[in-house]
Amino acid sequence: MQHAIPVVELGPQGLAMAKAVDSCVHCGLCLAACPTYKTLGEEMDSPRGRIFLMKEALEGSLTTEEVLPYVDRCLGCMACVTACPSGVAYGDLLAPFRAHAEKTRHRPVMEAAARLLVRTTMPYPRRFRSAVRLGKLARVARPLLPPALRPMLDMLPDSLPASAPLPERIDTQGQRRARVALLTGCVQNVLAPEINWATARVLARNGVEVVIPRSQGCCGSLSLHTGEADQARDLARHNLRVFPHDVDAIITNAAGCGSGMHEYPLLFAGQPDEDAAQVFAHKVMDISVFLYQLGIETPPPLPQPVRVAYHDACHLAHAQRITAEPRSLLVTVPNLTLVEIPEGDLCCGSAGTYNLEQPDTARQLGERKAHNILAVEPQVIAAGNIGCIMQIRKHIRGQSQALPILHTITILDRAYAGLPLLSE
Amino acid sequence: MALETLISELTARIPPERLLQQRPQLAPYESDALTSLRARPRAVLLAGTQEEVIDAVRLCHAHRVPFVARGSGTSLSGGSLPIEDGIVIALNRLNRIIALDPRQRLAVVEPGIINLDVSRAAAPHGLYYAPDPSSQPICTIGGNVAFNSGGAHCLKYGMTANHVLGIKAVLPDGEVVQLGGASLETSGPDLTGFFVGSEGLFGVALEITLRLLPKPEAYRTILASYDSLAAAGQAVSDVVAAGLLPGAMEIMDRLAIEAAEASVNAGYPRDAAALLIVELEGEAVEVDAEFAHLRRVIERSGAGEIRVAADEAERARIWKGRKGAFSAVGRLSPNYIVQDGVVPRSKLGEALQRIEALSAAHGTRVANVFHAGDGNLHPLILYDGRVPGALERAEDLAGEIIHMCIELGGSITGEHGVGMEKRRHMPAMFSPDDLALMSSVRRAVDPLELANRGKMLPAGQTQVTAGQHEQAVTDHG
Amino acid sequence: MADRLAPVAVEHVAQVQEAVRAFDRVTVRGSGTKPALAIAPSYDRAQPLDLRGLRGIVEYEPQEYTFTARAGTPLAEVNDLLAANGQYLPFDPVLVEAGATLGGTVASGLSGSGRLRYGGVRDFILGVRFVDGSGATVQGGGKVVKNAAGFDFPKLLTGSIGRLGVIVEVSFKVFPAPPAYRSLLVHFPSFSPALEAIYALTTQPFDLVALDLLPGDEPTGAKEGWTLALRIGGAKALLASRLDRVQRILAAGDAVSSPAGDAEASFWREAAEFAWAPAAANLVKVALTPTQIPALESRLVATPVPCRYTVAGNVLWIAWPDALAKLDSILNELGLAGVVVRGQATVPWIGRAPTSAFARRIKSALDPHDKFAPLYPD
Repeated sequence: MQHAIPVVELGPQGLAMAKAVDSCVHCGLCLAACPTYKTLGEEMDSPRGRIFLMKEALEGSLTTEEVLPYVDRCLGCMACVTACPSGVAYGDLLAPFRAHAEKTRHRPVMEAAARLLVRTTMPYPRRFRSAVRLGKLARVARPLLPPALRPMLDMLPDSLPASAPLPERIDTQGQRRARVALLTGCVQNVLAPEINWATARVLARNGVEVVIPRSQGCCGSLSLHTGEADQARDLARHNLRVFPHDVDAIITNAAGCGSGMHEYPLLFAGQPDEDAAQVFAHKVMDISVFLYQLGIETPPPLPQPVRVAYHDACHLAHAQRITAEPRSLLVTVPNLTLVEIPEGDLCCGSAGTYNLEQPDTARQLGERKAHNILAVEPQVIAAGNIGCIMQIRKHIRGQSQALPILHTITILDRAYAGLPLLSE
Repeated sequence: MALETLISELTARIPPERLLQQRPQLAPYESDALTSLRARPRAVLLAGTQEEVIDAVRLCHAHRVPFVARGSGTSLSGGSLPIEDGIVIALNRLNRIIALDPRQRLAVVEPGIINLDVSRAAAPHGLYYAPDPSSQPICTIGGNVAFNSGGAHCLKYGMTANHVLGIKAVLPDGEVVQLGGASLETSGPDLTGFFVGSEGLFGVALEITLRLLPKPEAYRTILASYDSLAAAGQAVSDVVAAGLLPGAMEIMDRLAIEAAEASVNAGYPRDAAALLIVELEGEAVEVDAEFAHLRRVIERSGAGEIRVAADEAERARIWKGRKGAFSAVGRLSPNYIVQDGVVPRSKLGEALQRIEALSAAHGTRVANVFHAGDGNLHPLILYDGRVPGALERAEDLAGEIIHMCIELGGSITGEHGVGMEKRRHMPAMFSPDDLALMSSVRRAVDPLELANRGKMLPAGQTQVTAGQHEQAVTDHG
Repeated sequence: MADRLAPVAVEHVAQVQEAVRAFDRVTVRGSGTKPALAIAPSYDRAQPLDLRGLRGIVEYEPQEYTFTARAGTPLAEVNDLLAANGQYLPFDPVLVEAGATLGGTVASGLSGSGRLRYGGVRDFILGVRFVDGSGATVQGGGKVVKNAAGFDFPKLLTGSIGRLGVIVEVSFKVFPAPPAYRSLLVHFPSFSPALEAIYALTTQPFDLVALDLLPGDEPTGAKEGWTLALRIGGAKALLASRLDRVQRILAAGDAVSSPAGDAEASFWREAAEFAWAPAAANLVKVALTPTQIPALESRLVATPVPCRYTVAGNVLWIAWPDALAKLDSILNELGLAGVVVRGQATVPWIGRAPTSAFARRIKSALDPHDKFAPLYPD
């Protein structure tokens, strides 16, 4: 699509934004893949419409304020990128645009407060842990709270598992085949620390030495995907410094983190850390891809046959094009049958902080996902992202069902240990 | 002003979230898939019910305001380009399947339903909806009806018109009519067939009765590479001469192969100058026998590499590459014009050579992806709209290609419709008498020329009154 | 009936244009195989034009799967030429041996039993040249197999029985002809299992050429029950096994015969010539769907008349021996519409009145001076 975006004025990311607009031919094939278009049915809530709106805003014929409501409604699930034959790098437009817009944006007081709360707690595990505890107390006062804050409370778990920090190094069992560093993540480490433990155990079992830098922090993806580019850069820069260079890979078990860390080069474009970001991003690998490429030992058979529905997290399937690897790993488990979820390409509505900021759309998508999952009658749901796990669990329970929903790596871990899958 | 009176009447009836009037809401509706034309409508009505559509059309008629019906906005001919002093009636939410009758192989649908969703709904019954435009994951049946859309599989089972049995429509003055019905046959003139392909000039289809077909028992898909487009074209003639009737015969040239490969890794031979895809479908035993025959014909046709789809997944990949090819060309060029001319099949080779020569003479790259079995060419004329004069040069080349198609005894459009983009070429294909009759038919149905004003019929024929202002429809093309 | 004018024999399109301009009222005829369609009582003073002289195939390139011919060309001539090149008209034209012309076939919009496989006249017509009510010669559609330019006059003229314009030339799409055919005749003791068999067959992926249902036991000539007649076409070596598969679906049917060769061919040829319909009876075509048939049958059962359901229950051909008023009222009651092809009709339409605001407006554009008979009665 033709445009008159002032590329130079927009700084280092201007070129990437302009290129995404350039390659869009407005054919509309992305509409069919877009969760908000499927839910809302209007052109400005489609990828094609948003690209057009962002283009108009960058060109100056619409104001940023005018287009933001529609840009905000984007889940950033990147299903449009998978669907797009023209190769539009939608993410290269969306994240820089959000950052660009955030600079001049005026938010209502309560919305700003809610965002501030998210921004200042979620990326920091200790603060997040305290916030969750406080939030549980605040539930009593829910009716008195402004609507902007209520969805946050509703997402809080009933109880938090005990903090269980990993050691700084876990040695291999048997001969060493590789050495990796593990990103433990922020939110996940508070809500489900067992996923990191499972990751470390499965790696060790398969001959991989795991390094867990103690001073690591949040990878910055949450901030990056919500337009907080400066915070994202600060967080990322910290990890660029504290992660070791002498590892074969930097492993993540959260889809959003993996996708965000692959965006570091664009985030640091034209900045002193650009080279370091390139090297780092090049090493980042989702756990499923790493294990698949490494080749894993076949686990012992599950005690009884289990039907597992694998849910494609958008930030794995669309943002990183990872769909085959987790499935291949799961089917190495004897007695495990994989079933495919209808509309599997469609986002579950979790999408980082989306379920906090656009609760209505998130709820509709969550319900649709639960409905689709239940239609194929699995006994266990597998997913490779903590956000999806939380969201799907909530909506499966909303349908009065109690299916266990486990991280892919947890399933492998339990299979190795001879533990049953049919409970969380 | 009549337009503002209409808007205030609509505002009184339609909740604001379904009557879009703000700048950021309207901007994304300015273009369909033909982005060289843009027009911002006064409002977009996201119709929720058939009654709302009828109501809106009646109000437009009462206030003499032109309207454009729109589905998913995938027209390549600017067929759903809005009118600046008019409204858009968006039908994409009007997407129910009203009835699915597997025993009689019928589906009654609303216009906003997506083409592929009809086949998805029919699949559990072993049935499908045959017309398969490349945009089928998103294009709507209403749009297919308006433009008589085709697809890759038209050779055997025809275009949209051959699969539409009945239409309930609101005419441009608000009168609701039922054309055809549920039977494969009618008595009297084929009004349903006449409505299909009328590019929205006869009003808005509200309910469409579709014929479904049993899903073929077997498909066999073969890919063959050639060192020239002419050789691939000759292979098509050989297949036809052999008395075979494939479901589809498609050709792609080097540029299109490159783009499609970059897009979906379809596994096309990258070094080929031309690629031929032939697909047989039908009863398994018949397809097997025909396939042996087809294979011999292809082997003797001078093909380089020959590949046969081993399973459904490979077949799907082959078609994904082909169907995404237009959009994939977006990787090669920021802008392009898609042409849709038709030539007699035996003139394919000549037409392709002439396109090549024209491309060289104009210094403009042309990618070719086309329905070879139908002689339906799709030259994609690549240009960079930021370069002054590039669009004009591309349009000149497009015009020359269109005139070549007419000269060879073909048509200016096979399946995309005339829309905005080809109406200036109508006089080259039709005589003044032909066009005069089309205009009088149009005016008999829509004296105020409100429905999709400006599409199909050449500019200058339509002098209309909009509101209190005398306004000539000008050619944006 | 008042006196009729002698037909003018037409040999050139210009004569049609002159006639339309010169006379107040004009009717068209070909070889008169569907006489009821040419009747227009209020147009007794109309000048008939005989188009049989406007004949000949203008263009035929077998490799294109298309041909163009003048309206008066007999179908037999077209069929012979196509057959010599291994091709055919898949809509299975009727009354070919009776002498039907191409123009009359388009104007009547009639297709045969074989239209089940790929479609009817409307699905194979590509282009039409006609003289409209102002005497202008208009070309609609094209000569290539795919075309989306302009309004689809070829389809509009299909079934217009001379009331929208005088068809002078048509272009058609053709297909390679199946090298061989086989048929199966299955007798059912009653109607309802026969109808169930139609449903069972049409939802399977069988490429059936034709699927008809006719009263009585066709092979034995007995009057009881119904006979399902189906036809497949294709490579000869495969027909027997394909027919076997079809037959297995039809476990319900009892007596089965499977004619081959000349007997098979003449069974379908006779169907296309309406050999079963007494010449003196009114021959009526009714468009319907299979689910509408039981109600219709329950109205017809009292007075059995020769009839034949074709196209998998989408068309009823009925030879009505008496005055049409009764059939008209039965059809009206059931909301069905038909057309009288042969017989004592005053207008060709029967059953549910085919009124359409859309049709009226189009008629006013194509025939502003009422040169041709009214499309529908007022």
